[in-house]
Amino acid sequence: MKPFTIGFLILIAIAQPLRAEQPQDIILSHTLQAKQDNAAFLGFDAIRGEQFFKSQHNGGDWSCASCHTDNPAAAGLHTVTKKEIEPMAPSVNPARFTNTSKVEKWFKRNCKDVLNRECTAQEKGDVITYLMSLNR
Amino acid sequence: MSSIKVWDLPTRFFHWLLVLSFAGAFLTAESERNRDLHVLLGYTVLGLIVFRLLWGLIGSRYARFYSFVCSPKVVVLYLCQLIQKQAQHPVGHNPAGAVVIVLLLLLGLGSGLSGWAVYEDIGADWLTEWHELISNAMLVVVCIHITGVVVSSYLQGENLIAAMVTGKKLGHVNQAIASNVASLAWLLLAVVIGLWIWAWPASKDLNWLLHTFSWW
Ligand code: HEC
Ligand code: HEM
Repeated sequence: MKPFTIGFLILIAIAQPLRAEQPQDIILSHTLQAKQDNAAFLGFDAIRGEQFFKSQHNGGDWSCASCHTDNPAAAGLHTVTKKEIEPMAPSVNPARFTNTSKVEKWFKRNCKDVLNRECTAQEKGDVITYLMSLNR
Repeated sequence: MSSIKVWDLPTRFFHWLLVLSFAGAFLTAESERNRDLHVLLGYTVLGLIVFRLLWGLIGSRYARFYSFVCSPKVVVLYLCQLIQKQAQHPVGHNPAGAVVIVLLLLLGLGSGLSGWAVYEDIGADWLTEWHELISNAMLVVVCIHITGVVVSSYLQGENLIAAMVTGKKLGHVNQAIASNVASLAWLLLAVVIGLWIWAWPASKDLNWLLHTFSWW
């Protein structure tokens, strides 16, 4: 292998653990955004997150629970494809909320399907706080 | 010069089915509501391209890779001649078009395979990103392809889009392909439509049939 290739591979190897984020980091970035959106921001709330998660919005027929179920500590079921979805609670599924780009991608996609718009940082932070409050 | 058959029917059916499936897959990619349709159309793209790869080996004259895949040297030479307005227009694909066609086939294959891996949860998260990247790259190449076809049509004074519909182009009688291979084309169409009907979830419960008839 050329030195350049080796150097590149080493760089990737070093960068890999840096990429793995924690749910707390993701909450923090949403906190910063929520403060920017709303000067009166008072923090995230698990109960509000649960309500948001389990209810329909803007006259739509889906809620987040349509696929992730009312018990996000257990496996979900995609309402269209009937494929299993891994549990959402990080206590059960530690891979959740460890990759910002994955999290944001799915928030964007799922919020558009459920609310017909993107979710606000407040809503996203509430949902993550709710999911993190769940025990196995 | 006279109007001769150049593109056999399987090649043309493949082309327009691919246009339909790729466009459909792209338009249904955004929402989970269309997930089934997206996956079905993605599999169709994959199947069509596998068919085309085989047809490129055993198909009729101008459908064969052997007749249009060429080295980069030939492509550059062709482009230079094009600028100097000295280019010969081949009856089959021209060298520049051929590059784009090979790219389209490879990207379609990559997009289909990566989509399949994502759907079956074979790959890690990075695969999802590759699936999007490859598909977007394919859309870009499709735009280049369409531009190329329009520009070529203008330069050589022959409607190439119509040729992809009728299969006919201007050439010498001895350059024509011997057979349209129509039976294989209809088989391809039947398989594709059969797949759509069989796999479409709404068709699995027969309620839709009842609905259709009660509507009548
Ligand atoms: C149509 C089904 C469906 C609905 C409705 C749905 N989701 Fe999802 N969600 C999925 C699928 C599929 C995935 C990706 C598969 C996976 O990661 O296991 C996913 C993944 C996610 C992720 C990624 C988490 C991570 O780190 O892996 C988040 C966050 C998420 N959904 C939030 C929501 C929220 C919030 C709602 C409601 C606004 C919602 N989802 C509604 C199907 C759905
Ligand atoms: C939507 C995505 C499209 C894809 C993926 C695609 C792909 C392809 C491929 C793979 C070929 C090679 C055909 C073969 O030999 O089997 C081809 C040729 C061709 N395509 Fe498309 N195509 C697309 C859209 C279009 C559109 C919209 C047009 C017309 C406006 C068009 C016009 C043509 C023509 C005229 C040729 C023959 C080129 C030649 O004369 O050398 N294509 N295309």
